Amino acid sequence: MQIPDGHQHPLTHMIAEINDIFAKIGFEFAEGPEAELEQYNFDRVNVPKEHPSRDMQDTFWFKAKDVAEPTVLRTHTSPVQARVLEQNQPPIKIIAPGKVFRNEATDATHEAQFYQFEGLYVDEGVSLGHLKGTLEYFFSEFFSGKIEVRFRPGFFPFVEPGIEVDMKLLEGDSKLAGKWIEVMGAGMVHPNLLTAAGIDSKKYSGFAFGMGIDRLGVMKYGVEDVRDFYTGDLRFVNQF
Amino acid sequence: MKVVHSWLKEYVGEKLPDARTVEDLLNFHAFEIEGVEQVEGETVIDVDVLPNRSSDCFSHRGIARELATILDTPLDKDPLADSPQLDATDEISVSIEDVAACPRFTASLITGIQVKESPDWLQKKLKAIGQRPINNIVDATNYVMYAIGQPVHAYDADLFPKVDGKWQFVVRYATAGETVSLLAEGGKDEDRVVELNGTELLIVDGSSNTPISLAGVKGGRYAGVHAESKNIIIEAAHFHPTITRKTARRLGIVIDASKRFENEPSRELPVYGQAEIIALIEDIAGGRCAGVLDEYLEKTTNPKVEVTLQKTNSLLGLQLSIDEVAHIIKRTGCSVEVAPDAGTLTAQGPFERTDLNIEEDFIEEVGRLYGFDKITSVVPTVTKSATINAKQYYTEKIRHCLLGLGFSEVVTTSFHKKGKIQLQNSLASDKSYVRANLSKNLHQVLDMNFSHTDMLGLRDVRVFEIGTVFSKSDTAITEHLSLALGVRTKGNGFTAPDERIVVAACDTLEELLSASLAWEKEKGVAELNLSHVIEHAPAPTEYDAVPSKSPMRYQAVSQYPAISRDIALWVSEGVSAKAVEKVLNAPTGDLRLRTDLFDEFTKEGKTSYAFRLVFQAADRTLTDEEVAKIMENVYQAARANAWEVR
Repeated sequence: MQIPDGHQHPLTHMIAEINDIFAKIGFEFAEGPEAELEQYNFDRVNVPKEHPSRDMQDTFWFKAKDVAEPTVLRTHTSPVQARVLEQNQPPIKIIAPGKVFRNEATDATHEAQFYQFEGLYVDEGVSLGHLKGTLEYFFSEFFSGKIEVRFRPGFFPFVEPGIEVDMKLLEGDSKLAGKWIEVMGAGMVHPNLLTAAGIDSKKYSGFAFGMGIDRLGVMKYGVEDVRDFYTGDLRFVNQF
Repeated sequence: MKVVHSWLKEYVGEKLPDARTVEDLLNFHAFEIEGVEQVEGETVIDVDVLPNRSSDCFSHRGIARELATILDTPLDKDPLADSPQLDATDEISVSIEDVAACPRFTASLITGIQVKESPDWLQKKLKAIGQRPINNIVDATNYVMYAIGQPVHAYDADLFPKVDGKWQFVVRYATAGETVSLLAEGGKDEDRVVELNGTELLIVDGSSNTPISLAGVKGGRYAGVHAESKNIIIEAAHFHPTITRKTARRLGIVIDASKRFENEPSRELPVYGQAEIIALIEDIAGGRCAGVLDEYLEKTTNPKVEVTLQKTNSLLGLQLSIDEVAHIIKRTGCSVEVAPDAGTLTAQGPFERTDLNIEEDFIEEVGRLYGFDKITSVVPTVTKSATINAKQYYTEKIRHCLLGLGFSEVVTTSFHKKGKIQLQNSLASDKSYVRANLSKNLHQVLDMNFSHTDMLGLRDVRVFEIGTVFSKSDTAITEHLSLALGVRTKGNGFTAPDERIVVAACDTLEELLSASLAWEKEKGVAELNLSHVIEHAPAPTEYDAVPSKSPMRYQAVSQYPAISRDIALWVSEGVSAKAVEKVLNAPTGDLRLRTDLFDEFTKEGKTSYAFRLVFQAADRTLTDEEVAKIMENVYQAARANAWEVR
C-alpha cells in the first residue's frame, strides 16, 4: 500500500502564505526570541513599568535566579519591531510571525500560546493610506476574494495614532462573509520607538500592525476552538 | 465604563442623538461600544474607554465632551467650564510627606448634614450603572466620581479631634507592619484589616497618628461616615498613579477610585470635585459648607505642542488645510494658534486632557475626528523581497520533504508540567515549565494518534514538529529551533519497524540538506538542533513556491469512539476499486466516516478487494448492533452486484 502524503499544519502553512504574499511587495521575514528580555517586550515598545498599559497582557516571567536581566515569554511579536529598528536604517519593511504567550485561563477563543505576526514599514512619507492599501492587498490575497477594510480608533502603546482594523469578506460561503470582524491592532509607529532606535522621527514615519494567525485560521477554515491547533491530534491536522 | 444616556444628555443637551447613533459616533470616532442595555428604565451604554483616555473619559462628563466634540457642538452644561470659587477654611490643615506622591490635597468641611436615603433620581442613576445606593453621603461621593471622574471621600469630622483649632490631616507613607482597618467592601459585612509594607500612602489623623484611609484606594473605619454623622470632611486629592496602582494590586482592592488615580487624571480636577460634591450634599443632605482647604504643592500644565500641517497630512494620508486641522483640534477644547506662515499651529489641551503631549497625539485627534474612513488606500508596489530568510526557507523545505514521506506536521505546547526551566508565575500547573525538547511531546502525540489510525485511514502514525525549545546558560534563557520526527507502527508502543522508517526519513533529510546531521534518536523519535543546521547551510536565494490549498472548512472532531468493519470481496477483473467502493458506500448513511482500500490482488480473472469502513456518530457512542445493521446493507449491496463476499 502506498503511503499517502502527510499534511502540513495549518499554522505553518498560513505563515508560508503570509510570507509569500508580503515577500511580493518587498517585506522581509524577521525573527526574534520567544524568551524575550523585559526590556524589548515592554520598555522598548513604549510600555513602561507600572503603567496600566501593561495590564493589557498577562505575562509569564522566568525566575530571577535563572536570568541576569528580567526575561519573559514574549507576549506579542512587537519586540521584533524594536530589535529590527535598532539594527537597521529605513527603508525597513518586515513581517515577523511567531509564537507568543499569555498567562491566562484558556477557552475556545483563548490559548496561553498562539501565533501572531507583526508588520512594520518605515520610510519617508509612510501614512495610514499605505497601511490601508497594504492590508487590503494582504486580506484579498489571503482570503482569495473581495474584502473591505475599515479603521476605528484604538490604543496600543507602540503606535500613535492607534487603529483597530475591521475586515469584511464580501464573497464566499464562510459563516463570517458579509460581516465586519475585528481582526487586528495597528497604527503609525510611535516616535519613541524610532527615537530609541536612533531613527529621525521628523524625517521618517512608519506603520505597524499585529494580528493573531490562529484567528486568521478561525476565519479561513472555520476552526471553532483555537486550542485544537496545539493538540497534536491528526484528526485535526489531516483535514488540512 | 457604563454611561446613562439621559445623564449624558444633561451635559450635551438636546443635540444628543439616540443611543443607536451615539453608539456609532463613539465606535468610529472614539471608543468601542461593548453593549447597550435597559436598566431601571434608563438606556445604559457600556463604553470601552481606551487606556490613553482613562484619565478624562472614565466619567459621564468625559464621554459627553467626546460626543460634543464629534458632533462639533459646545456642551450645554459643562461642570469643568469655570474654575470653581471656593471659600477657604482655617479649620483644616494638611501636612504632606512626599509632594510627588500627593501633589494636591483638598478638603471641605460640611456641617449639619443629615445622613439618610438618597433622592430617587440619584438612586436611579447609580442603579442604572450597577452601583448599589447606600446613603446620601456615600452616594453623593460616587455620583461625583462617575459624573466628572474625580474620586472623593467623606470622613466623619466628629470621630477625630481638632488640635489647635484644626483637623490635622497628614499624608504619609505607611510604616512596615502598620495596619489599617478598611471599611467593609461592597456586599460584605466585615471590615478588612490589612497589614502594610511601607510602600503605601496613607491619610492619617495627625492628632493620634491613626490611619483614616489608604490614599486613593479605600477609606478606613476609624473616621468613616455612619448613620448618625452630622459634620463631615470631604477629601478630593491627586495621588501618584504608580503608588496607588501598586497598593491596589497588592491588596487586591482594584476599585473605581483607584482605577481613576492609576490613570493620572488632571491635578486641576480635585477642586471641581469639591464644587460638585458641596453643591450636591447641601442639596440632598442639608448642611452648609464651612470652607475648603486647598493644598496645591506641585502644579502641572499641559504642554504647548507644535503641530505641522505637513506631518499631519503625511501621517494620516490626507490633504487637509491648516484651517481644517485647526478647527478639528479646537473642537476638542484645545487652544490653538496658527502660525503666520500657516504651516504649523501650536495647540494645548484643555486641563483635563493630560494625554495630549506630543505632536502625534494631536494628529490622532485630527484623524479620528475627521474620520479614518476618509483615508485613501495607497496600493503597494510589487517589488521582490531583498533577502530570503534562511529559517523560513529551510523549514519549509524540510516540511515538504517530510510531507512527501507521509509525515504530518504537529504544533504542540511549549509548556510542560515538569522540567528544568520553571516559570515564575504560571497560573496553570500544566504550564509550570518550558520545554527543553520536542521529543517528549512527540511520544505523546504518537500514542494518542495510534488509536485513530482507522479514522484517519492510516496504517501507521508519522509526525514531525519544528519548534523552539529552551535551555539555560549561567545568565540567561537560551533557545533554538528544533526538529523532531517520530513513527508508530504498532499500538503497543515502540517496535523495531518504527526505527527503520525514522532512519530512512533522517537519511532523506541528510540528502536534501547535503549534510551529515547530529540526530538524537530514542524509541522511534529523532530530534535535531535545526538552528545549528540552518546556520551552516548555504544562504538561500529564492523561496520555493507555496503550494496552494483548495478552500476547505474544518469539521469538528467527534468526541465519541469510532467502530471499524472490514469487508473483502471478489469481483470480476476490470471492475475498479472506486466503482466497488461507491456501491458499498451507497447504503451506509451519514454515520460512515470513511472507507479505505487496504488490500487488493488479482487471481484467475477475479480481483479481491478488502475495504475498511469506519463509523462514528457526532453525538453518541455507536453500538455494535447499529453498525451490524449498516453492514448488512453493505453486504446486500455487494450481493446485488453478484460480488462474492469472502
